[in-house]
Amino acid sequence: MIKLELPLTHLRNGESGVIVSINASPSHHHRHRRKWGFQKRLEDMGLTPGTKVTVVRSAPFHGPIELHVRGSRLAIGRGMAERILVSVER
Amino acid sequence: MTKKQIIIALAGNANVGKSVIFNHLTGMHQHIGNWPGKTVEKAEGTLHFRGYTIDIIDLPGIYSLSTFSIEELISREYIAIESPDLVINVVDASVLERNLFFTLQLAELETPMIVALNQMDMAEKKGIKIDHKKLEEILGVPVIPTVAPSRVGLYELLQASVATIEKGEVAPSKIRYGEEIEEKIQELSKLVKRLQLPYPARWVAIKLLEGDEQIENKIRQMDPNILATARKLAEEIENIHGHSCTTVITSERYEIAGCIAREVQEIVTPEKSPMRERLHALTTHVVLGYPIMAAVILAIFFGIFSFGDYTSGLLSDLFYGLEPIFKSVLGTGILGELVWGGILEGLIAGVTIVLPYILPFYLMLYFLEDSGYLSRIAFLMDNLMHKIGLHGKAFIPMMLGFGCNVPACLGCRIMETDRERLIAIFVVTLVPCAATTVIILGLVGAFVGFQWALLLYAVDLFIIFILGRIAFKALPGDPTGLIMEMHDYKVPHAKTIAKQTWFRLEEFVKMAFPLIILGSFVIKLVEILNLLEPIAYVLSPVTVVWLGLPAITGITLIFGILRKELTLIMLATLLGTSNFAGVSGFGPVQMIVFTLVAMLYIPCISTIGALVRELGWKKALFISVFEVVFAIFIGGIAFRLLLLANIW
Repeated sequence: MIKLELPLTHLRNGESGVIVSINASPSHHHRHRRKWGFQKRLEDMGLTPGTKVTVVRSAPFHGPIELHVRGSRLAIGRGMAERILVSVER
Repeated sequence: MTKKQIIIALAGNANVGKSVIFNHLTGMHQHIGNWPGKTVEKAEGTLHFRGYTIDIIDLPGIYSLSTFSIEELISREYIAIESPDLVINVVDASVLERNLFFTLQLAELETPMIVALNQMDMAEKKGIKIDHKKLEEILGVPVIPTVAPSRVGLYELLQASVATIEKGEVAPSKIRYGEEIEEKIQELSKLVKRLQLPYPARWVAIKLLEGDEQIENKIRQMDPNILATARKLAEEIENIHGHSCTTVITSERYEIAGCIAREVQEIVTPEKSPMRERLHALTTHVVLGYPIMAAVILAIFFGIFSFGDYTSGLLSDLFYGLEPIFKSVLGTGILGELVWGGILEGLIAGVTIVLPYILPFYLMLYFLEDSGYLSRIAFLMDNLMHKIGLHGKAFIPMMLGFGCNVPACLGCRIMETDRERLIAIFVVTLVPCAATTVIILGLVGAFVGFQWALLLYAVDLFIIFILGRIAFKALPGDPTGLIMEMHDYKVPHAKTIAKQTWFRLEEFVKMAFPLIILGSFVIKLVEILNLLEPIAYVLSPVTVVWLGLPAITGITLIFGILRKELTLIMLATLLGTSNFAGVSGFGPVQMIVFTLVAMLYIPCISTIGALVRELGWKKALFISVFEVVFAIFIGGIAFRLLLLANIW
């Protein structure tokens, strides 16, 4: 078993991980605002660092990802999921 | 007891059964409008209970009290500034942790509050048992278990509401953050207290640490020093935790919500893979999800159009049967013509042509929404919608647009930000609605060939794609992605669906009918004054020279502003035949160009009404004018290309 840090999109269906951090877009004009809005939104939906998430399935054609988090089911667009870093044991 | 007026606000996450509770409490005494200056729906209702006249406000369903969406901003401003006598926080017992996160934020607003622990039946089915007495103790506010669809607990809810208001107690703020954060909150609260804000000082202090834009702006104007202190304190917290202060505070809130949830709920073994779980897996399946979705959507459209067609025929027989009576009363003079042809025919057209389609449309929409299937559609279509800069939720109004653009424009309210709303509405007005389909199939499909009708659809979708992308690139602001809770499937509550449909229908009639009637009156007037021919003449440089169409099409395109299918009806009237095949100067090329222009050229008058309502005059005018110019441009190019191709 080794501990890996991967973007959420790299998790297999049914695999769980713990959120390490959420990375805002690296280059953008409204950097601060964007970070605030996008990250705050994910956190408000319960995706805070330290939270355990389970990937249920990914929609085809690079569609969104279905997650189990805090006893509820969330759909997250792939672009956002790519910026969520999780630690998994494999 | 004397009659007293009290105001209660319902607040909670989306899809927790808030509107079912609202409907049961207020019955038919409801009023649905908009929040002042906003395109967010405001539902108000009244009831009488124990000598009180109770006004109930149904706040939008939200997950947090930050400033991400207009709904969140409206809710917190309402609770903090209008300060209702009580907030009933409706909580989904089957997703307790997420719901309590919101409950804790409400408590921070220091408002009188009780909790309706709703969907207890769903929780039980999922194997979750909740000790509501314990929850009551922990939260320090009354907690009433309810099952809204069967009215369980609603009487107790009202009793507890009145009792709480009479006691005049405010919900205690239950969150104690970590010591290092509490210190800073105290320090800031002291500074904030002096400012005499309408919000609780502790709440403002927390929001300042979180970097809440709206609160920061307010404080900046009053005392920029406080803002500087807040930023400094927030940085200290960031240095301790290695995460931004916003993240730390949100995490702690969720931790507390999680602790409370774990303490009061007991997970017993749930049923093995219940029906709704299998249904969820099937409808979001990588392969099967799509054919199922296509089948559902096609079945719905087929159902709506069969119903609409049948009812529409029935109603128009009925109304036109009355024509002789009206004509004998009003006479056949100019006045009679104007009243019948202008006003009444407009009204009849609205009732017979529009309503039979709109009614089942709304019913199906709310059925799908309430059951939970709409969120699965959004899940499946997210990637496709990203191609035009929107996310999965936008597919729903687009789908509506194929029926009628008006509900589709109003449906764009599900998009979270103004930017997404604007792009979605713009795209939706380009979707060929049922009336446009009548033209495409009735003219090109019938007289040129079905494959050409399909090609026109394909061209339209391509144009939507291109223009959507351009709008996406051109508009300022940042795109947002999909973040959506997918609720468990449930049996929709019929009465709530019926009510929602009724109010939407009322809204539609109020908005569209005056425009349809006014429009047909003006056109009738123009006709009576014999202005149609001159107008056709004036338009001929565009219609004849640029588009290569007969001059009379100018007239029909003007009629089409009222309702698009009128372009075809007027064309038949003016040509004196509905067999367009034999008309000279109106061959396949002209039919295709004409249909292309009619398809794109302007949102109909009702849609323009919807645009004005959702976006304001300026943007509505811009979109309308743009589409006219664009349609003429594309039409002229198509004309030349078709001539070059020389197929016929």
